[in-house]
Amino acid sequence: MKRLVYIVVVFFITSFLMYCLFSLIPSDPARNQLEGVKKSMKPEAYQQMYEELRDKMGLDDPIVIRYARWIGFMPDKQSGEFDGLLQGNFGYSLLRQKDCVDVIKTPMANTILFNIFTTILTLAVTIPLGIWCAVHKGSKLDQGVQAFTILGYSLPQYIIALIFIFVFAVLLKWFPVNGAATPGSTYTGLRELLDRLYYMSLPILVSLFGALGGMSRYVRASMIDALSMDCIRTARAKGVKERVVIYSHAWRNALLPVVTSIIGWFLSVFSGSLVLENVFGLNGMGALYIKALNGSDAELCLAIQMFYTVVALLGNLITDLAYGFVDPRIRVNK
Amino acid sequence: MKKFLALLLAVMMVISMAACGGNNTDATAAPTDAADVTEAPATDAAEVRENKVILGDITELTGDFTGGLVTNGASDMMIYDLVNDYGTMVANQGGNYVENPTVMKEWSRTDNEDGTATYTITINEGLVYNNGEPITAKDYAFSVMKSCTPFASALSFTSGTKDMIVGGAAAYAGEVNYVSGLHLIDEYTLSLTIVADYANYYYADTYAAVSPWNEEFWLGEGYGIADDGEGCYITLNGEAIVLEGGGDAEANFRAAMSATDGYVSAGPYSITKYDPATSQCTLDINPNYAGNFEGVKPSIQTIVVVRAEDATWADQLKTGGMDIYAGITDGDDINTLLDMIDEGAELRAIAYDRAGYGKIQFLCDVGPTQFVEVRHAVAQLLNRDEFVNTFCQGFGTTVDAPYATCLQMYMDSKDFLADNLKSYAYDVDAANAELAEGGWTLTAEGNEWTSSEDGLRHKDVTGLDVNTDGCIEVGGKTLMPLQIQWYSTEGNPVSDLLAIMLANSDAVAQSGMEIVLTVGDWNGLLGAIYHEDADGNKVAPEYGMLNLATGFTSALYDYSFNWTDDPDYVAMGYNSNYLFDMGEGGLDQLSMDMVYAVEPGDYEAYLDLWQQYIVRWNELLPEIPLYCNIYYTAVPSWVEGYEQNSFWDFADAIVYASIPSAQ
Repeated sequence: MKRLVYIVVVFFITSFLMYCLFSLIPSDPARNQLEGVKKSMKPEAYQQMYEELRDKMGLDDPIVIRYARWIGFMPDKQSGEFDGLLQGNFGYSLLRQKDCVDVIKTPMANTILFNIFTTILTLAVTIPLGIWCAVHKGSKLDQGVQAFTILGYSLPQYIIALIFIFVFAVLLKWFPVNGAATPGSTYTGLRELLDRLYYMSLPILVSLFGALGGMSRYVRASMIDALSMDCIRTARAKGVKERVVIYSHAWRNALLPVVTSIIGWFLSVFSGSLVLENVFGLNGMGALYIKALNGSDAELCLAIQMFYTVVALLGNLITDLAYGFVDPRIRVNK
Repeated sequence: MKKFLALLLAVMMVISMAACGGNNTDATAAPTDAADVTEAPATDAAEVRENKVILGDITELTGDFTGGLVTNGASDMMIYDLVNDYGTMVANQGGNYVENPTVMKEWSRTDNEDGTATYTITINEGLVYNNGEPITAKDYAFSVMKSCTPFASALSFTSGTKDMIVGGAAAYAGEVNYVSGLHLIDEYTLSLTIVADYANYYYADTYAAVSPWNEEFWLGEGYGIADDGEGCYITLNGEAIVLEGGGDAEANFRAAMSATDGYVSAGPYSITKYDPATSQCTLDINPNYAGNFEGVKPSIQTIVVVRAEDATWADQLKTGGMDIYAGITDGDDINTLLDMIDEGAELRAIAYDRAGYGKIQFLCDVGPTQFVEVRHAVAQLLNRDEFVNTFCQGFGTTVDAPYATCLQMYMDSKDFLADNLKSYAYDVDAANAELAEGGWTLTAEGNEWTSSEDGLRHKDVTGLDVNTDGCIEVGGKTLMPLQIQWYSTEGNPVSDLLAIMLANSDAVAQSGMEIVLTVGDWNGLLGAIYHEDADGNKVAPEYGMLNLATGFTSALYDYSFNWTDDPDYVAMGYNSNYLFDMGEGGLDQLSMDMVYAVEPGDYEAYLDLWQQYIVRWNELLPEIPLYCNIYYTAVPSWVEGYEQNSFWDFADAIVYASIPSAQ
């Protein structure tokens, strides 16, 4: 209960700070919107339309009033009804002239789809790899893996992406250069999903390569610690099978520090990657957020930020609860 | 739990491997369904093609197919143009408005006693939308009417139509439900009455350029348009209404504007599928299309618009991820394209001049740029030819006044302009001579300036009617230092080169001049132009020089009000050079007369004023045109008949193109 109250308080403080920050961005959204048609309008017509827009956007009201309307503590200027964030209205995108929810839903779905597969593949590769390297610590293969994975860790993702495109798309022609689906395809159902996955393969591999160094090292280090524990030595002395020692005894002990990372990975399914989305032409959250920032679309930025704020707050709660689940000695209320 | 997790991981891996695997060599086709992959015989692989082109576009498709009415994304507008082409008047290959005989049977203009003008337009019978519904005068009237209702205000339509049509503003404000200047004469005839302010306008005939919009598609079933004699009004189930925002009409409109299929339109192509998730749009030939203004119909069956990326567009072309890529401007990119062609890629390059240019803009109400000799000197201290060659890497030109080489007026005035325009070629001595002649002959102490060792040049502005901000008082005289404040947006390669070739050059330093750069964002630049702070409050002018770009739209060359001295208009941002050249032969009079003192269609009179305007502009030099890019478009060599220029884009050009080797 205390944690839930803490989440609510942090949410409101964050929302207010965020709103103030975005309102401080020096811009005149009404003028920006009309800049393109100004040339074709006579001055009086332009001025009338400009003032109408400013009024409609509520740009001349004090920031506290605007915040209260946006969050839903005060009624909307035009409709006279409470219609803010608390009522489920995430705002209106000036850039797209649509409700923010309508703007966000497609990129968010794309991002989630992409990240689910990336996360699962990454964990499926890095965890066994980390365990294997820990068990074979110091072997030539372990050293080789450490050297290879550090490449992905060190190189910028942008460079990795371009190299992968050149090798796998241009030279080998295994994958398309970019895009999200076969141009002009009319696939439906599973076929459509597989087509989407095929187009996602290369960015997923780039993401995996970039993540190999970090996650596998984390697991390896944790497992090495666990394997040096007294209980492991005792288990081995008792003649327990090596596989059981590693996967049952050592891995359970190694899991505690790793679990934060694993949960973080799953929570990151909502996060877009600006680099990958731009290089591979994916319609995701990273690219949308940058466009919103560049376009001074404060409400769209806020909607995205507030969504991530909620995800982060819930993520912290889930991580704390997960500690208790993995290690019964830990309890959240203690 | 562990078993379930292991199983889940295994399933995901198998699916991923299945999706990623295969020995498919066509990088753009999914590999899992052999039946859907067209494999040409090995021997004749290049002989037979699909009658389809894939267009790569770097701007994102957002799904607003209203032609710029709501938002103005370039890709969205291009799709709109591909599916809407029944305008009564349309822009031709030279960017000039011409009648569309496919659509318009006849039209006339009547000048009324009250100064208004009435355009009566009769369309041809037998025109239909892509869904087979007939097109009548009501559809054309609705395209005007939609911008003259409170609905337009609610959806923030960026259209000035309401102010041009008699009764439009009253209907827009919701005072009446009809537009008194818009009438349905019969099933195929409508009339538009233009308010007096706009009627006596050189380009007034463009108001006769209207396109059909299907009321029921955009607003929903039951909506229509009628006229009982007072003017057109919107109806719902036969009853007159005031069309307002909200409700089912707005919901329908928003659904229609980004319809994934079933988009009702009248153009060479129809939207077969728009997929927001993949940012792709597939269009197929509209079988009901009667042809463009020259009666030409498209022959390429399918167009797919996909996203292109800066970093990988060449790889997309190489691997067949896209076939056509338009608007390549960067020198490195152009060289990449030309190298690909040299290496045997099945491509050809189409080059055309940009209708616009990058420029230095002077703000002439503060500091030294208030004086024409300083503006001239800055121009002569910059080697523009070298600048163009460096910035555009050989793929650019420059102009001496506000025109583009693809404008009709320029083409008709080449000799005149060659004889009458000054090019302000790089000449440090000439720049110094102009400065000296303009009175920039003093040091900060009020002594005679002899060389750069004396510091900055100063001018005695005592008693002159100029803005003296930044001046110093020496011995009872007001001296203005030759220091120009320059504002630029961050990360701007033009600014970087300008800093090297102008601001930090020896030529500027030796001339006793200083150009001080301030870097900020786009909003800061607008603030610098409009003299506003971050909150929109008016502030004192600070900057004398900016760098940005400008473009010319097809057909309309209208710079009226751009040189006004009306304080209200200036405060609104008109006359963003703050150069007040009033009176006979001044920029204000010439720019106004060009469009408001010339009869519509009197091109000779217009051209004469245009030439005077250009010459005067060149004398006063409120801007320095820097570079005019040469644009390139990559087109497959197997596509024939595709030609493009700045006023004739993909949507126009593709109608003339064909794939002879298509199935």
